[in-house]
Amino acid sequence: MTTLQPPIFPRMPRGRRDQRRYTERPRSDGLLGRAVVQSFVKLDPRLTARNPVMFVVWCGTLVTLAATLEPRLFELSPEAPGRGFNALLSLILLATLLFANFAEALAEGRGKAQADALRRTQASTQARRLLPDGSEALVDSSALRRGDQVRVSQGEMIPADGEVVDGVAAVDESAITGESAPVLKEAGSDGASSVTGGTRVVSDKLLIRITADPGKGFIDRMIALVEGAERSKTPNEIALTVLLAVLTQVFLIAVATLPPVAAYINSPTPVVVLVALLVALIPTTIGGLLSAIGIAGMDRVAQFNVIATSGRAVEACGDITTLVLDKTGTITLGNRLAEEFLPVGGHSERELATTAHAASWFDTTPEGKSIVRLAEKLDAVTALPMDTATGLEFSARTRLSGTDLADGNELRKGAVEAIKGFVRSRGGTVPADLDAAYERVSRLGGTPLAVCWNAEIFGVIHLKDIIKPGMRERFDQLRRMGIRSVMLTGDNAITAGVIAREAGVDDFIAEATPEDKIAVIQAEQRLGRLVAMTGDGTNDAPALAQANVGVAMNSGTQAAKEAANMVDLDSDPTKLIDIVTIGKQLLITRGALTTFSIANDVAKYFAILPALFGKAGLAPLNLMGLASPQSAILSAMVFNALIIPALVPLALKGVAFRPSTADQLLRRNLLVYGLGGLVVPFIGIKLIDLAVSALRLV
Amino acid sequence: MASSSGLLSKPLFWLPLGLVLGTVLAAPLFSSSPSPLQSNALALLLSGTVVLSGYLFVVIFQPERF
Repeated sequence: MTTLQPPIFPRMPRGRRDQRRYTERPRSDGLLGRAVVQSFVKLDPRLTARNPVMFVVWCGTLVTLAATLEPRLFELSPEAPGRGFNALLSLILLATLLFANFAEALAEGRGKAQADALRRTQASTQARRLLPDGSEALVDSSALRRGDQVRVSQGEMIPADGEVVDGVAAVDESAITGESAPVLKEAGSDGASSVTGGTRVVSDKLLIRITADPGKGFIDRMIALVEGAERSKTPNEIALTVLLAVLTQVFLIAVATLPPVAAYINSPTPVVVLVALLVALIPTTIGGLLSAIGIAGMDRVAQFNVIATSGRAVEACGDITTLVLDKTGTITLGNRLAEEFLPVGGHSERELATTAHAASWFDTTPEGKSIVRLAEKLDAVTALPMDTATGLEFSARTRLSGTDLADGNELRKGAVEAIKGFVRSRGGTVPADLDAAYERVSRLGGTPLAVCWNAEIFGVIHLKDIIKPGMRERFDQLRRMGIRSVMLTGDNAITAGVIAREAGVDDFIAEATPEDKIAVIQAEQRLGRLVAMTGDGTNDAPALAQANVGVAMNSGTQAAKEAANMVDLDSDPTKLIDIVTIGKQLLITRGALTTFSIANDVAKYFAILPALFGKAGLAPLNLMGLASPQSAILSAMVFNALIIPALVPLALKGVAFRPSTADQLLRRNLLVYGLGGLVVPFIGIKLIDLAVSALRLV
Repeated sequence: MASSSGLLSKPLFWLPLGLVLGTVLAAPLFSSSPSPLQSNALALLLSGTVVLSGYLFVVIFQPERF
């Protein structure tokens, strides 16, 4: 068997999740060097042609280069600029292209570093495939196909993604999650039956049914995604590409039709100056940074240990208007603990505790164990013959669990309504004081569990729910962002109402069944809202597929992971709130830089138009007092080039995000990036002009 | 190996073809230039601008291809 060291994730967030937001991972060795090389590789016209704005700059660079080689090539006028000016302009345009390529290459390089780490888990592994006659054959992992069964023992690598068919084992998943503590995997469990190729069994053994063909596994998909191999433009990127192409087209036609007008007003314009004018007019800043912003958005999601199946999913997060959240594990701590026993129908607390102890005997959930512990604390241990009894597992449909004794006696605990139904079905009656006990627990925000022995109800167990710290503030933030939160819970309406009020969610669905999830999502979508949800079980898969953003837990089933468009490697449902924030930040960053790019063109007009048409009466537009027409053109072009690398950190890191409404965001965007985009170039171009004049470059 | 239909759908197949054809067709418009090199260069510039404009129209109407 192959023994590999798990890869070290350079950007694996450490420590408490709420303290590692936007953690910058350390720079990988050679990342900048590779990005520089890639900047030149991306000058290939086949690659540049994917970006219309930068392709126009690329064509303009060819024209100025040709004019550098032969300054009279395109010029009839004797006042054409000399070779030196043309060469400087060519260099500046080339730098503009290289800076834009560098931004994209840098963003891609960060993803590739993670892909390399993942690839190390993919070394070929030998697997013991189970043959139809029950014997085993040693085969290469690449020969395994969907449906094959393999046996994996302690110390061996799991050869491919699959579902546990038999056995219980601890699995080290640090290769994909970075979490060093092994997780328990067993057959038939929604949360623990799915295994990932490249992880290692550290105790016992498992029989696994392979669920993915070679190259189609979870890690293969992750590699393809982080490398950008499956990256396709998102709807917003496509819309922005069209807008940029339209603007470029308009300015190309305007500039191309300018020479006859210029000749008519006796201000002949050299071709290289027309190229400079065109490049100044088209939105090169956003054109150069657009793909880097998108790639960096995926990267920021990955920094949170979340793998998105597409950029579209990340972007959709920014448009989310409704969050559908499970109460348990998301809003409240997953482990509800038994707080007290409330006997009803004349029974004593001890009788209730003893019955609850027996009803919870086979319950391995934290809640079940806490009931057993509380009963033992009260010295109320059952004396019933549990060695011959069998357990009944809880199901979301019946909403009860319990113990069946060998002599036919049935002990049950579960939702109060479910227990009432169970007792009535066996000819029993409901004690008059049950509802009072139920309401008392519910009003405290606890979960009441009724306990019965055959047709007789003994009382209620108070399961205490604890709301996670900081949830109210997070829901307040979401509300300010215009996002509505809906809590789904199997609890009764009173408990759900108390928890919802305390946590600050906007709405709740009580006594929800798995089918309610998809119904809630569809109802929200019918109102034109975009919905995000988390899930981990097979019964969550339809709702995950229906939601606009479905986040599956990595500990969840294969079905849930395949239905979702994001997988959270840390299996933390509250992360959905962070993901929405990242999506918003991606959209805001793109909007901010587009605003800045279009606004900063204005200053360039004031630099280049007086330079072109000074003789025709536009000299008063030289507000910046630029030294000469040629210096003005060069200064505008140098600013145009330098602003791209200056904005690369912002494009990669994202604009600082403050939860606020769309109107507030728009106002802030216009004020900071619109006004800033107007003012900064005036200052920048003037300073560059002073430097160009001082250096006597023209 | 790229199929012929795949090749025909690539903009970088049509761009040089358009440039060459455009230059040949537009060159007579600049016959008054001082040198044949300049008349060809201006014809190339004109056809290049037209081809570039055509490319931008393709981007506008089929943005997902880029």
